[in-house]
Amino acid sequence: MLVAGRIFALGMLIALWVFIIGCMEMAKKKLPSFRKLAGLDALPEMVGRAAEMNRPVHYTTGLGELTGTVAPQLVAGLAVLGYVSELAAKYGVKIVYSVYQAQVMPLATEIMREAYIRAGKPDAFNAEDQIRYLSGEQFAYATAVQGFAERERPAANIMIGPFYAESMMFSETFFRIGSIQLAGTARGYQIPFFAVICDYLLIGEEIYAAGAYLSKDPVQCGSIQGQDLGKLIAWILMFVGVLATVAGSSIINDLLKA
Amino acid sequence: MSKQGTGFWGKLEDVPREILYAILLIVFIIPMLKPVGFPVPISDAVKKWHATIDALPAGSAIMIDFGYSGGGEPELGPMAVAVYHHIFRKGGLKSITMSTSLEGPLLWDKVIAEVNPAKYGAKYGVDYIHIGYISGTETAMAAVGKDLRATTNTDYKGASLDQYPIMQGIKDASSFKLLICYTTGGDQSEGWVRQWYTPYKTPYLLSVIAMMVPTMLPYQKAGQIVSLTSGAQAGEMELLLGVPARGIKSADVITLTHLLVFAFVVMGNIAYYGRKASERARGG
Amino acid sequence: MSLFVRRQLPIVLVFVAAVLVMADYFLKIPGTGPVVKDLQNWGIILTAFSLGFGAVNLFYLHTRHISRRTPGQWPFSTWLLLMIVVFTIVGVTMGPTGPQYSWLYNSSYFALSATVYSSLGFYMTTGCYRALRARNAEAALLLVVGAIALLRNAPAVAVGVPIIIPMEAWLSAIPTTSAQRGIMIGASLGAIALGVRTMIGRETGFLGRLTEAERRG
Repeated sequence: MLVAGRIFALGMLIALWVFIIGCMEMAKKKLPSFRKLAGLDALPEMVGRAAEMNRPVHYTTGLGELTGTVAPQLVAGLAVLGYVSELAAKYGVKIVYSVYQAQVMPLATEIMREAYIRAGKPDAFNAEDQIRYLSGEQFAYATAVQGFAERERPAANIMIGPFYAESMMFSETFFRIGSIQLAGTARGYQIPFFAVICDYLLIGEEIYAAGAYLSKDPVQCGSIQGQDLGKLIAWILMFVGVLATVAGSSIINDLLKA
Repeated sequence: MSKQGTGFWGKLEDVPREILYAILLIVFIIPMLKPVGFPVPISDAVKKWHATIDALPAGSAIMIDFGYSGGGEPELGPMAVAVYHHIFRKGGLKSITMSTSLEGPLLWDKVIAEVNPAKYGAKYGVDYIHIGYISGTETAMAAVGKDLRATTNTDYKGASLDQYPIMQGIKDASSFKLLICYTTGGDQSEGWVRQWYTPYKTPYLLSVIAMMVPTMLPYQKAGQIVSLTSGAQAGEMELLLGVPARGIKSADVITLTHLLVFAFVVMGNIAYYGRKASERARGG
Repeated sequence: MSLFVRRQLPIVLVFVAAVLVMADYFLKIPGTGPVVKDLQNWGIILTAFSLGFGAVNLFYLHTRHISRRTPGQWPFSTWLLLMIVVFTIVGVTMGPTGPQYSWLYNSSYFALSATVYSSLGFYMTTGCYRALRARNAEAALLLVVGAIALLRNAPAVAVGVPIIIPMEAWLSAIPTTSAQRGIMIGASLGAIALGVRTMIGRETGFLGRLTEAERRG
């Protein structure tokens, strides 16, 4: 019945489901706490800076589709968009969201509209001006964002989501015009480029935690806690595996290949 | 012009980017016009790639994914050309190409035109074929791996696959002895590991743009990728095969530009410490 | 449209499709293979349609710019739509693999794409120049590792200073690979968590425009 070589993977998958769903339920009673994420704590400062300089805030969730393998990163970016939009509404700062994929527009419109309503400024939101579908082609999108940066010179640039080769282009361009930058991606290829240029960085699964960290939503918080339990299992397996291998036993290797 | 620091060290620490770009551009152009002929070592990864293809028995089918876009062509195109030279020269292999990138078929046409398979006696539909762009990336890989003919029954020009001798006996992933992927996208490079290597254990050769190599290394170290090269190593492959072309020409440019960037970094650090020393001296 | 159709039904469909695909991968259940194969082929067809949807969206947005004469935008929108029409006519009448389409592609899109991609080299140069400064211990470490990687990837330097090859190989194989593995494990767990939330209806982003109450169900 079970396919050989995939039994352990199935077991781990089921265990992860149990952890994640269990933690989501437990989070409804008591929210888990998170360690400090400097980039996210700096968001009010970044939006405040834009208010002082009377310049807009730019937000992008990079490339990627809601139905693709990088969808979790896109969703993480959208989660932070709501928080930043509410901050921008409160401070009276224009926030512009550059969209790569047309599918995301209705979702982003709803997220930002609700953020403005929560901030008590529903009339300040202008979807046509603040949510800009630029292009579905990577470099057309990248050059359009660069053009926006040069023309409107935002004071803050927030990039959270799946980024590809355009990450370097964005970081350099916004650095050059003097924007303060927060970037986050789980695509390992692009983290080094953000790391050397941006002021604040979220690495890997920190972007998944970002939505939970800011919104304090029990579902998201519990989900992050479940993921952390999964990481703990991985760490234990690695540690025990190293010890076993050094001792000449292949028990963990065999278990992983079961 | 961008803003510059004051004082000698300040200016050196903050050279305007226009000057840096101009110097870089000059260093790019000169070796392209007048190649220097710097030595090029042949890395283990390229040797392993070469040996893997060489070890294929006659009649083996190779699945090749042209998963890169026009932007990656200058880097990956030369590698694809060199590998095709190897495949056609060896002879007796069936290379079946698909594209997980929309521009793949057009870029494949460029590569084939550059290779000129006819000079090796290779014929379209007998020794090589392109089955077209298949959308969906990982879904496409999974579908082709399960049942190629159910996923597509035409080549990239729309002609039925039934008429081509190369497609006889080609059903699914088990029909292939080797998988090669050229890509600028992590979705493709990692997708093939998940959709072909993991379920079918198809040996996998991957060539990516240089900045993707560190991220793909875990797969290569775990044995999921037989050989991982960057397109910048096309010159090494050309040297190994004795088919010098665009790749080896770029090797001079790569050497000089890397040395230039290193020089800029050293200059920036000297300037940084020079400025700090002069500030300390002024401060007493 | 009723809430059942907009919310519950898509979640049920997602759950069933996900369970089928996972069952086919992990278990030997007769009958799931052909069903999953069909699902995957439907996925390919839907993705192909989404390309067309993207083109329709472009038309809609840019014709609005043209009709409103958006300052600084409408001439470019006109050019964009003109090129879409030209590419479409040539592709449909003369074939997307014909010499005319190839010429159009090579002389416009390919040249622009390669040029923009190549501009990354310039950005990386200024990025390296500015960022690789030994301001503190961590920055010095970054500088040393970056310098080794730079020199190793210059072919002539690797020949002239062979010690750099094993140094860079160790840096790639041990710290870099380990760090990448950690990031990959984290990213994969995030993807699994999103999958679980989507399957049980706790993640409703893909359902599009729903109110807060509708999302909560």
